[in-house]
Amino acid sequence: MKMGMVIDLEKCIGCRSCMVACKQHNAQPPGTWWNRVFTPGSHRHLTPPAKGVEYFLPVHCQHCENAPCEKVCPVGATFHAGDGAVLIDFDRCIGCRYCMAACPYGVRQFNWQEPERTHERSEYQEKYHYGYPREHHHDGRLVYTPLRPKGVVEKCTFCAQYRDKGELPACVRACPGKARFVGDLDDPDSEVSTMIKARDAFTLLPEKGTKPTVFYLPPKAREV
Amino acid sequence: MSGKMKCSLWGSGALFLVALAAWLYQLRQGLILTNMVNSFSWGLYISGLAFFVGNAAGGLVLTSSIYLFGVKQLKPLAKLGALTAFANVTAAMLIVLPDIGKPFRLYNLLLHPNLMSPLVWDVIVLNLYALASAIYLYILMLPELTGRLGWLAVKVENAHDFSEKWAKRIAPVALLFAIGIHVVTAWIFSTQGGRDWWFSPAMAPDFVSVAIAVGATVVLLAGALAYGTGKKYEEAYRTLGLIIFIATCVHLFLMMNDLVIHAWYGNGETHRIMEIAWGDFAGFHVFEVAAPLLGAGLLMLPVVRRSMPLLALSSGLLIAGVFVHRFLIMPAAYNNIPMTITPFGLPNTHWSLPIASGRFFPGLDTFLDQYNYSPSLVEVVILLGIMAYAVFLILLAVAKLPILAKEKA
Repeated sequence: MKMGMVIDLEKCIGCRSCMVACKQHNAQPPGTWWNRVFTPGSHRHLTPPAKGVEYFLPVHCQHCENAPCEKVCPVGATFHAGDGAVLIDFDRCIGCRYCMAACPYGVRQFNWQEPERTHERSEYQEKYHYGYPREHHHDGRLVYTPLRPKGVVEKCTFCAQYRDKGELPACVRACPGKARFVGDLDDPDSEVSTMIKARDAFTLLPEKGTKPTVFYLPPKAREV
Repeated sequence: MSGKMKCSLWGSGALFLVALAAWLYQLRQGLILTNMVNSFSWGLYISGLAFFVGNAAGGLVLTSSIYLFGVKQLKPLAKLGALTAFANVTAAMLIVLPDIGKPFRLYNLLLHPNLMSPLVWDVIVLNLYALASAIYLYILMLPELTGRLGWLAVKVENAHDFSEKWAKRIAPVALLFAIGIHVVTAWIFSTQGGRDWWFSPAMAPDFVSVAIAVGATVVLLAGALAYGTGKKYEEAYRTLGLIIFIATCVHLFLMMNDLVIHAWYGNGETHRIMEIAWGDFAGFHVFEVAAPLLGAGLLMLPVVRRSMPLLALSSGLLIAGVFVHRFLIMPAAYNNIPMTITPFGLPNTHWSLPIASGRFFPGLDTFLDQYNYSPSLVEVVILLGIMAYAVFLILLAVAKLPILAKEKA
């Protein structure tokens, strides 16, 4: 089993629901976003670029097979789960941020201070808490905790806390356009494998040799 | 101990303690006290690592060249060289600590080292180098560890012969480590295919050449301060001046060679790099080229080497230029976002995906595709404190140990 995700850019309406669902479900501190949706070519989201076509690009951890972040981690805190997802052990990470220098996709985020302090600083209402409330261990390693320790790096886990219960990642469930799909890349007949073959799927920065397991289906050319 | 020495010891010691306090404060508050953000996640501390590593190696390259290549005129400076090497390589390891988010977990480096990580290689070579320079210094001091310091000496039949023999034996190993710390520190950056500014085979040889230039300058400055600029060591200073000048020229050549190749082809990524390197940071770039060249050039002149103020000024210019060179490792790497694509329908354009800052500044966007990093007060104080630590250690050793050659009539 090698898990992969397919994002259909034709169906993505750029609503950023997945960004919000991701942030809420994973209790990301203010200023931290595991998932970003932008309008390529434009400096303002949901505004077409001066020339060219308007489409939207969601980017989060690409769960690369050849992950530079995993290779540079001096203590093996970043690791591949059995299904291919790249996870971070919050109990092991020393916070050197080498992985943030290594990741070409800019998905890794650091905890610059205690999350409670960030809430205060950002003037969140007192005792306003959100997100999956319990710690989650995968193979005995702490891969999710609602209050992140100060000084560790975090990023998208493909919602390890949900997947380990057989549920889909929050972004997949929350997408109003049904643009996101997950499945087994090893199975040539799976829904994701079929879509990748049939619709000219592409990956981000293929020239970097990272072998992402997140695939994108190109939008249909539209006249602007 | 002279009054001047006491004053310098107190001053540098106090500055180190202030930095220690700043670090404790940062440990409590988190790296929020720095000016780094998610899109610009290494700053002054890691530049400091490269800077101190550079200062450290020259010292041992020098001492080993005396014994390997028979450059006898440098012999009076051998112990000073090993000492500055030890002080700077330990400073290099110290300046990494405040950059670590969870320093109390560093034992994980021993429990779960990932041997693929260049950072692990660097930890290994830096520690070995610190050990090697300490042993080297000890062996060189051995014949003079008598009287009050006699308890420090190992019992050997003829301390002088023993010292000569082992200094010669260790020299090749020490030289290997000396080159190793630069190559491996450069590899931390130059292995990263995600960052075009770093991803260059020229970086490791360049680190070696910078180190020989600046490391030799540190020894020259320390020697002149300790022995004065008189006739006695004229020959040693002349040799150092030559080494410094050649190494500086090699460094500038390697740097320019890299820039020319990048600039000539001029694809999108390198275009952006050049914009940052020569646009936003043009002044810094002029300085990183002009200051070391001017400093090294001046040190070639006998009149400069004979005057303490001029020698100090020239050395200072070179060291400052190299420091700026180290600082410039970061901006063109972090402000050139690797996640840059050519959007559909917009051929020949490049568009970068902004990164969540991870911090809350009232006036700052949540998502950044460029960030004007300048270090915070805490970062500056900690860096100055680590510099003070190196100075303190060198002064203390000079005061208490037989580092300086005895004046013989």
